[in-house]
Amino acid sequence: MPPSLKGRGDSPPSLGEGVGERSGAWRLGLLLLPILFLILFFYAPLANLLREGLTKDGTFSLEFVQKILTDEYFQHVILFTFWQALLSTLASIALGLPLAYILTRYDFPLKRAVRSLTIVPFVLPAITVALGFALLFGRNGYLNQFLMNLFGLREPPLPIMYSLAGIVLAHAFYNAPIITRTVHAAWERLDPRYEESARALGASRFYVFKDVTLPMILPGLLSGAALVFIFCFLSFPIVLSVGGGRFSTIEVEIYTRVVTMLDPQLTNYKIGAALALIGLTLSLTMTYIYLRVQGGFARQLEQLRPRPPVPLFAGVRDFLRPTKLLLWVYVLVSLLIFVGPVLAILADSLWEETVFGGHWTLRWYAYIFTPQYEAFLGDSPLRAILNSIGFGVGAMLIALPMGLIFAYVIARLRWGGRRIFDTLLMAPLATSSIVLAFALLRAFNAPPFRLMGTPYAVIIAHSVIIFPFVVRALVPVLENLDVKLIEGAQSLGASRLRALREIELPLVATGLLAGAVFAFALSLGEMSATLMLARPGLNTMPVAVYRFLSQHSLGAPSAMSVVMIAVSALAFILLERWGERALQRF
Amino acid sequence: MLRRAALVALLIGSVLAWSVSFSVAQAGEGSKLVVYVYDSFVSWGPAKFIKTEFEKRNPGVEVEFVATGPSRAMLARLVQEIQSGGTPADVFMGEINDIPKAKQFGLFVPLGESDVPNLKTVAKSLLFDPERTLIPYEHGFITLVYDSEKLKPEELPKTFADLTKSQYQKKLIIQDARTSSVGHAFLLWTIYNYGNLGYLDYWKQLLPTILTIQPGWSAAYKLFTKGEAPMVVSFSTDACFDARYKPLLPNNQGYRTIFGAGIVRTTDNPKLARAFLDFLLSVEVQEKLPDTEVMFPANSQAKLPEKWRTCAVIPPNPVMLPLDLVAENDDRWLDEWARLVVTGR
Repeated sequence: MPPSLKGRGDSPPSLGEGVGERSGAWRLGLLLLPILFLILFFYAPLANLLREGLTKDGTFSLEFVQKILTDEYFQHVILFTFWQALLSTLASIALGLPLAYILTRYDFPLKRAVRSLTIVPFVLPAITVALGFALLFGRNGYLNQFLMNLFGLREPPLPIMYSLAGIVLAHAFYNAPIITRTVHAAWERLDPRYEESARALGASRFYVFKDVTLPMILPGLLSGAALVFIFCFLSFPIVLSVGGGRFSTIEVEIYTRVVTMLDPQLTNYKIGAALALIGLTLSLTMTYIYLRVQGGFARQLEQLRPRPPVPLFAGVRDFLRPTKLLLWVYVLVSLLIFVGPVLAILADSLWEETVFGGHWTLRWYAYIFTPQYEAFLGDSPLRAILNSIGFGVGAMLIALPMGLIFAYVIARLRWGGRRIFDTLLMAPLATSSIVLAFALLRAFNAPPFRLMGTPYAVIIAHSVIIFPFVVRALVPVLENLDVKLIEGAQSLGASRLRALREIELPLVATGLLAGAVFAFALSLGEMSATLMLARPGLNTMPVAVYRFLSQHSLGAPSAMSVVMIAVSALAFILLERWGERALQRF
Repeated sequence: MLRRAALVALLIGSVLAWSVSFSVAQAGEGSKLVVYVYDSFVSWGPAKFIKTEFEKRNPGVEVEFVATGPSRAMLARLVQEIQSGGTPADVFMGEINDIPKAKQFGLFVPLGESDVPNLKTVAKSLLFDPERTLIPYEHGFITLVYDSEKLKPEELPKTFADLTKSQYQKKLIIQDARTSSVGHAFLLWTIYNYGNLGYLDYWKQLLPTILTIQPGWSAAYKLFTKGEAPMVVSFSTDACFDARYKPLLPNNQGYRTIFGAGIVRTTDNPKLARAFLDFLLSVEVQEKLPDTEVMFPANSQAKLPEKWRTCAVIPPNPVMLPLDLVAENDDRWLDEWARLVVTGR
């Protein structure tokens, strides 16, 4: 291990030293706030739902859990859930890692925009992605049509859609950017001198990567991969739409049993609840492992010298070098996978099919911007756009302060059960939005929080969903914060509050911003829970896409998706720009 | 610092403005009628017309359609809400094959002609429910639909058995019987033809023909019109929407589908709910159904559009399983079906 990799244990243990007990009590009170929030809007409703899976005729019973674990069908479903999540994670690494390399090593025009835009797939609702994939990779999609024309084939050569391959590819579309972002963050902080020294000492490029670079970016890679695995494990609309009914995961099974397969004895409901319990146990275990991996590797990488990027375009000769050629192949493939579906949706939104063939049109856009009432939305389409932004900002305003308080305590407190505690508080991450929506649907329909039909139902659901991301984004930043700076400020006469405002907050601004961006993105793209909780007039853009899709009108869902992509892309670029400027002032 | 504070203020301000605009939109609330209905009714049915006209006739009344999923999902939602503390729903509208389940839960109020005068206009053959807890307002036939630009008439399968031939490999898109009422009807249709004991064997042979099983009718139909497969499970009246897509009747059959509306037992506004049902059955609304829902009206006095004489197909053999048989076996059928399509065994 290179010498400057400092273990986490070396960092000062507690900010509380010398601050006094009164402040300790104050902090405890503050900590209670997010815990109370989680208990009221997450744990209590969830426990209420899961209890159904553990009771029969009002008494405790393991019948349903046992039924699931011994049934061949459910074993198949559980194994498939793991299998597709594993393949999807590997595919995400294969697609995301090279991009992290390119972003770290090379300089090219619009690099910053590309980096900002890597988060866009994350906000796209699954139903839009499924549509884009069908348009591009379907049997009658652009790609198969192109290949059939090119080689004169009669049958489509690439059976990607409606198969495991389609599910894996769609998951990679979503999650490769997570790998890119986590690895890029680690790689960028890596001092290039380690690699240079190894090269100077005669190591080949391959060995430098394997023995020097890889171990140092491994923490980022592993924590990214673990996160991706959990997401794919919990994914459900992609499996439902891209894979279709012949594929079933734990979440799909919960959805169909609880949402639609109604029986008077409520057996299916109970099986759904028991499945949710099993799924949650599995994903909580994985979250625990994820936190261990992340915690175990969390090291302070002191950057001694910034990494100088190399221009990507360096003349025609360089362009044709074999190593560069490999790079261009990757760029081509990733353009096809990431940009292709988005372009396919764009094309679909501008096209009108008629009996005489078809023509370009703007009518779908005119249609979705009508401010007039539409029964299928319960409001105007324009309201959906405003709602999305409103819910996103509202959820951010709840989750950011709560997450900040929480991350502060996690980053500072040192005690034995911390990791289990941490896992429990990360449980929203390990809970699929569909399970959360069922739990909240029950809770908001009864006292004390009869919130169904109000915007608060959706905002609270979104806050619970994005809360763990805010915390995850903030903890590392707070852990790396040098306590001496604050102590210094205080010793120079600054009040605690002033030190917080003028030293700590600006220093954690990056993390806060990263958390905010991610949180806002998740809120924008959230569909499963919103669809269940939103009453007419409370629709968001993804819900509107879903509604448009269930209409006979063909271009409108694509047009709405394009508007959504545009709004979110703009928000990210602005946020990152604003963020970097804010940072440059310190 | 100042700029950042201004930005934060702007953010908070805009959220406030947004939530105020919301409460303004909600203000002026008189009496409200909440209608639970499957999503396609609000997407392309006459929901907008019904809302506007009913509100015009009943000043101070607001109609709210809640349509978060297909018919079965709305029913499950209703049951779960009632069991967990109450539902805002006053009226429920759903598909006939879900009716037995609704009755098992005793969700709806029995109705007579004195409650809903327009009930007398409904064709007797449609009154499937002797207690009249759900009153039929429209009906149609589930069939296969094919793309006439992809399949020539001589290439079409004529029977259910033909469908399993290798020439139709990956040529059919269907819906999930667990989540979609159209998919459910198709499953029941195969059970009608192959029986309680034989239908799983038939499905085993049918699997290679199926390109994909989509969660709902809309997604399936979208893939069909995008040319992903030349056949889809849909309605016999689809040619009225686009002449390119024609009905295909295996065994010369079509599976009956009937939609009914009822009043939720817990409603606090039964009078308004009855008026709503009566309005739903009025000639005025009923004559909108062919063009919007692409369904036959239940009211026998409602006139069909001129072109329906040629484009709307009534299958020579309309079939349907008895509802009590469905009620008794449905859960097992769905479970067995799901096991087969997911594991292939």
